[in-house]
Amino acid sequence: MPAEPAKIPDADLLHAIARNDEAALSACYDRYRLILFGLILRILHDREEAEDCLQEVFLQVWRRSRDFDESRGRAFTWLVTIARSRALDRLRASGSRLRLATEAAQVPRDEVGDAAEEAVQSEQGAVVRRALAELPEEQRRTLLLAYFEGLTQTEIAARLGDPLGTVKTRTRSGMMKLRELLQGKLRE
Amino acid sequence: MEHQEYQERLALHALDALDAEEARALEDHLQACAQCRAELIELRDAAGLLAHASTPAAPGSEVRARILANSHAERQPASAAQVIAMPRRATKLWPNLIRLAAGVAFVALLVGVIVFWRRDVKSRQEIAQLSRQVNTQQHELVRDRDVLARQREALALLNSPNAKKMELTAGQTAQNARGTFVYDQKTGRAILMAEGLPATPADKAYELWFIPKGHSPMAGRMFTIDASGHAMLPEQMPAEAMENAVIAITLEPKKGSAVPTGAIYLTSPSS
Repeated sequence: MPAEPAKIPDADLLHAIARNDEAALSACYDRYRLILFGLILRILHDREEAEDCLQEVFLQVWRRSRDFDESRGRAFTWLVTIARSRALDRLRASGSRLRLATEAAQVPRDEVGDAAEEAVQSEQGAVVRRALAELPEEQRRTLLLAYFEGLTQTEIAARLGDPLGTVKTRTRSGMMKLRELLQGKLRE
Repeated sequence: MEHQEYQERLALHALDALDAEEARALEDHLQACAQCRAELIELRDAAGLLAHASTPAAPGSEVRARILANSHAERQPASAAQVIAMPRRATKLWPNLIRLAAGVAFVALLVGVIVFWRRDVKSRQEIAQLSRQVNTQQHELVRDRDVLARQREALALLNSPNAKKMELTAGQTAQNARGTFVYDQKTGRAILMAEGLPATPADKAYELWFIPKGHSPMAGRMFTIDASGHAMLPEQMPAEAMENAVIAITLEPKKGSAVPTGAIYLTSPSS
């Protein structure tokens, strides 16, 4: 592996992992642990379970990276999709939605990671948060419920007490707007 | 239903927010509609960025070590496929109960050991034999599953419109050997099928090489053959090797070589 793993494109990193390259796996972990752990923690609200889940995610990355296909989406999407699905599976399995309601959203802030890596990721985070802030409140809320709690349109409608049709329209408009605002980022 | 109605559902599908019935119908439509497939990819990429809306957080440093240890343990040649249990810490909620349960289990184990001691030798031998059988069967099951997965992958690859096939012919060393190397020219996913290769000594294994034009050889995966001299090996082509590379197989020390050192057993024609 070259000395600066940050310069290897994500997709090449996944291809290297597919060739059983352990250094590529650790580079991928170092690059994405903060964002993926943040995502999993936000879904599960339980540090220990989130750590187990993160471990499961990277084991799946190790085993399945041959399935990654650049023509079907970005490498980042492939990684977060695995992390989100594994976390939501656990959330459903543990029935911890009840717990969620009571614990509120108290995600503990934790030790700071590698400064440079963190800066890049928080910069990307800022772009996404800015884009989200441009959406009307109801649209933003719908997207976040679907994404972080894994709710379907019907469940969202029940949760918010809104008609199903309204939820569908909001989700669609929200996603379209988000895609438009993030277009530049998607091409990077 | 009309194309447009499906298209309107793509945004919800990108968030996995469709109800099961609608999701199934949309998946059917996607099979036939390249335009919707392309749009779904864009929407999924956008949805993926929502991960950034959560606050980044650092996992404990031991998680990294656990992941690397597990992946390393799994790296062994696929024929020795093994299932590695993930170390899980006991939950902190019921430490006393767990300690109590562990105590009870230990006593039970002790009693069990004494009981077994007192049994006659014959029944112990039977148990040992049965457990050996179970182990063998488990091993075979894991191996069969692995073989099946590879065959399925090979089939999918052979079916791909982008598949390119290369015949590998024997070098001087093993004249009965032959092989086929198929790869997807778009994704680089590849599979090697070989037969007639001689059994390898315990300290050696075959190594696959990609030799792109004007490049030094790039190491691929190590492999051994099964009892009937066959091998089936999934690979990922390095980007540099996607055009005009020669594929070769040499015999190398088991831990692998960075450059080919042994005799050539199979090779593709140089173009």
